[in-house]
Amino acid sequence: MPTADQPRFLRSRWAMPTFCLALGLAFLVAGLLGDDPGSGVGGLAVMSAVGIAFLALSPRSDTVAGLAGPGRDERWAAIDVHATAFTGMVLIAVILGAFFYELATGRDGEPWSQLGAVGGITYVVAVVVLRRRT
Amino acid sequence: MQNDVRELRTAAGLSQQQLGEELDVSRQTINSIEKERYTPSLPLAIAIARFFRTTVEEIFHADR
Repeated sequence: MPTADQPRFLRSRWAMPTFCLALGLAFLVAGLLGDDPGSGVGGLAVMSAVGIAFLALSPRSDTVAGLAGPGRDERWAAIDVHATAFTGMVLIAVILGAFFYELATGRDGEPWSQLGAVGGITYVVAVVVLRRRT
Repeated sequence: MQNDVRELRTAAGLSQQQLGEELDVSRQTINSIEKERYTPSLPLAIAIARFFRTTVEEIFHADR
């Protein structure tokens, strides 16, 4: 009986390296579009190195394997959910803090107000969708 | 949750790695279950019980 919650690809050893490569390519495109190819190439190089590190270290470390994909099982899925929720709460605190600081110092609060709106709307939509699915 | 996974595993002569492979979970997950730091999902608990040819209630003890 299968017990892992993660889709099969996310449990493959190629999941995180692929994500790193995609981020690196995003870096490159953004750098080229912003007329800063050095940053783009540098970003691609760094993310490629991170992806290679995940590939190389996954067989040697359970923790890296869990982060990278091959070690992902239901326990890692639970860890991921809790870590993501905690990260979200930290980001919300930072966005709110920055927004209020901006207002208190006479500025308009952007882009923090927009980020906060995106976060709030995303949370409500997620609650509505998940409530209907469970 | 208190459980007898370690006792059953050692009686079967299996390492945590081997049991993890049989159940399609990581060695760390088996270790966490045995140390009662992680409570497995219902499907995993049933898989563990079936692997050891017993019942979930015989392995996991919610009332201890």
